[in-house]
Amino acid sequence: MATQTVEEMAAGLFRDVAIPTIHIGMATCGLAAGARSIEELVVKELEKRGLEARIIPTGCIGMCHNEPLLDITMPGMYRVSYRNVKALIIPQIFDAHFVKGEFAKKYAVCQIPIAGHKPFEGLPLMAETGFFKGQVKIVSSRCGLIDPSSIDDYIATDGYKALRKMLTEMTPDMVIDEMTKSGLRGRGGGGFYTGLKWKLTRQSPGEEKYVVCNADEGDPGAFMDRSILEGDPHSVLEGMLAASFAIGNARKGYIYCRAEYPLAIKRLRKAIDDARERNFLGDNILGTGFSFDITIKEGAGAYVCGEETALLASLMGERGMPWPKPPFPAQKGVWGKPTVINNVETLGNVGHIILNGGDWYASYGSEKTKGTKTFALTGSVKNSGLIEVPAGTPLRSIVFDIGGGMLEKKIPFKAAQLGGPSGGCIPASGLDTPVDFENVIAAGAIMGSGGIVIMDEASCIVDTAKFFLKFTQDESCGECTPCRVGSKIMLEILTRITEGKGQEGDLDELIRLSMYVKSNSLCGLGAAAPNPVLSTIRYFREEFEAHIRDKHCPGTVCANLIKYVVIEEDCTTCGLCEPVCPTGSVTWDKGEVAHINLETCIRCKACVDACKFRAII
Amino acid sequence: MAHNDNAATLNITDEEIDHICEEFGNREGAVVQILQTIQDKYGYVPAEVLERVGEDLGIPHSKMFGVLTFYSQFYREPRGKFILKVCVGTACHVRGAGLLVDKIKENLHIEEGENTEDMMFTLEPVSCLGSCALAPMAMVNGNTYGKLSGDKMVSLLKEFREESAGAPETEASPAS
Repeated sequence: MATQTVEEMAAGLFRDVAIPTIHIGMATCGLAAGARSIEELVVKELEKRGLEARIIPTGCIGMCHNEPLLDITMPGMYRVSYRNVKALIIPQIFDAHFVKGEFAKKYAVCQIPIAGHKPFEGLPLMAETGFFKGQVKIVSSRCGLIDPSSIDDYIATDGYKALRKMLTEMTPDMVIDEMTKSGLRGRGGGGFYTGLKWKLTRQSPGEEKYVVCNADEGDPGAFMDRSILEGDPHSVLEGMLAASFAIGNARKGYIYCRAEYPLAIKRLRKAIDDARERNFLGDNILGTGFSFDITIKEGAGAYVCGEETALLASLMGERGMPWPKPPFPAQKGVWGKPTVINNVETLGNVGHIILNGGDWYASYGSEKTKGTKTFALTGSVKNSGLIEVPAGTPLRSIVFDIGGGMLEKKIPFKAAQLGGPSGGCIPASGLDTPVDFENVIAAGAIMGSGGIVIMDEASCIVDTAKFFLKFTQDESCGECTPCRVGSKIMLEILTRITEGKGQEGDLDELIRLSMYVKSNSLCGLGAAAPNPVLSTIRYFREEFEAHIRDKHCPGTVCANLIKYVVIEEDCTTCGLCEPVCPTGSVTWDKGEVAHINLETCIRCKACVDACKFRAII
Repeated sequence: MAHNDNAATLNITDEEIDHICEEFGNREGAVVQILQTIQDKYGYVPAEVLERVGEDLGIPHSKMFGVLTFYSQFYREPRGKFILKVCVGTACHVRGAGLLVDKIKENLHIEEGENTEDMMFTLEPVSCLGSCALAPMAMVNGNTYGKLSGDKMVSLLKEFREESAGAPETEASPAS
């Protein structure tokens, strides 16, 4: 059995629909870009024209750089996606579809095929566009296509089919076998084999067991789990049902979700209510005697709670402090009982694996990292958003094919930061690194939960290292000394360097402290905290040395080390920089190259931002 | 905006606290959720309320205090009507979240974590809100605002003030 293609999935959604359908991207990113007011305008426009159409909110299809997104599906035709939709262009889109029977060429980005429907001429299919070409969507396949608050949409796209198959045709051991065959590894960053984790929990003695979904996605620059929860919440519930079945009917599950994701929590609540109503959750599910229910627990703002033992402590109403392993949660978890704890993306994959088989999933990916991985691609890259690629895809193709290259063409790539505060930076020389667990570690970073932040030459590596260390230092729970004190001293040194007070020997001291904190911290947070520092020193030692010896910040970010100058050849003498200077330090006369008085300059960067020709650096 | 109604905080009675605790079965494990429920209703968790919850659940005050202060989203002091959660995650940092925070500080004369004197605004830089493609962004009372600049932030602050003064809400944007 093969997984559903986009066409088949879409066909399920449009079966028996005789009126036009308008999808609006309403995940957090869409809403932030103004999707709510687009919806109001669409309603008004429909009323004005006396037209009837379904308006359906949808999750994140991944093209965050194109938000707000609006899709129109006329009966019998392919679904057309419009990007950066503004008030002014809505009437034009309506004219094209409802009056002329075509599409608004100027604003359309692609069309999504629907089996049995007809394509438009002259508009690329979604899979043919640069952004989607290299992607393989499994866990995010429904995101952006379905209405996440509709259980019918989920069912129409093969949802809860895996549950039915599992309960009627499979034994727990068979489920574990498929998971083992799939090679799926923990997508939260740990990379532990899911099949093995379930097997160990199954073998743990005791009747009472629990399933916990870790939705405490805290890495800055990461929003994969948010997108899945907001775009396809039922897939996570189905994954938890499978885990419960596999480990020997855990009757209760928890989803621990960070409170910064209010929309994800709302969608999950709705999904759980709907699933209960249809008896996919609750007692005697589908009449098979299998029972399972899920409770949502909201986090209260502590990054360390993403660490599994800290999460369990928080779940039980304690301070979210990690405990030393063993005992592992598989032996002693919630309320001291055997517990499976999996990340959102891991669980989201489960239904697809059960339905299509472990071998099918393992046919994607690299030797040791099977399947696909979602990434949040952000920073100075043209197409930022949520992507899903087979594990082992080279970093270069993620940045330059899918990502479309650098945001500002003139400023070249400097580094990609992978894995957030526990990860590291990969420089331009590492662009051919295949992105999977092993290869990224060899390159000095980690794949982590999937945040990729692209940095260009205008960013400062030392500042980035300081940024991440400040983050982990703030979030250190304080339980063990190496992490609590070690990270503080390291941050002091880095701060000194960025302020122009760096000393010879600082780098050696940073490396020495890093090794100490790494090997002596209690949990993963401390053990990984020095990674951003170590990897940046490894690849960008000269930049650190420039800060320390020459008191110079090559990226012109560290305010104390900046000396702004006007490049005479690039200055067009337009004078835009003069009026924006709050201290009157920029002098300019008509037809003359501008000049900056460094004595009075406060390094606010206003002139740099005002210059359209990048003549001030 | 019952969510941040500070006046109501002073009126919370012991009976109301007991009632909330009972809703969660007076279970020790539900302490985080109980405190969240109280805070959602009253805006913050005053010391005497914390003590009462501890008594109800049979948890020593030292431990209650430990839990409350561990999590960054619990507050022991009243907060402003508009909570300016400015994202200072990686992507926002790279795209100038620092300048945004500075602009707010300059405009409202407050530091991180502080309230304005009129209790209108609270500045609360937060780690990643997960909308990195729209960096720099902020969340104000649950609504998200993307691709912000210092100037946009200032006009937003003005809008919030007007909204609070009862001025008619501004249209999102004209239809044509």
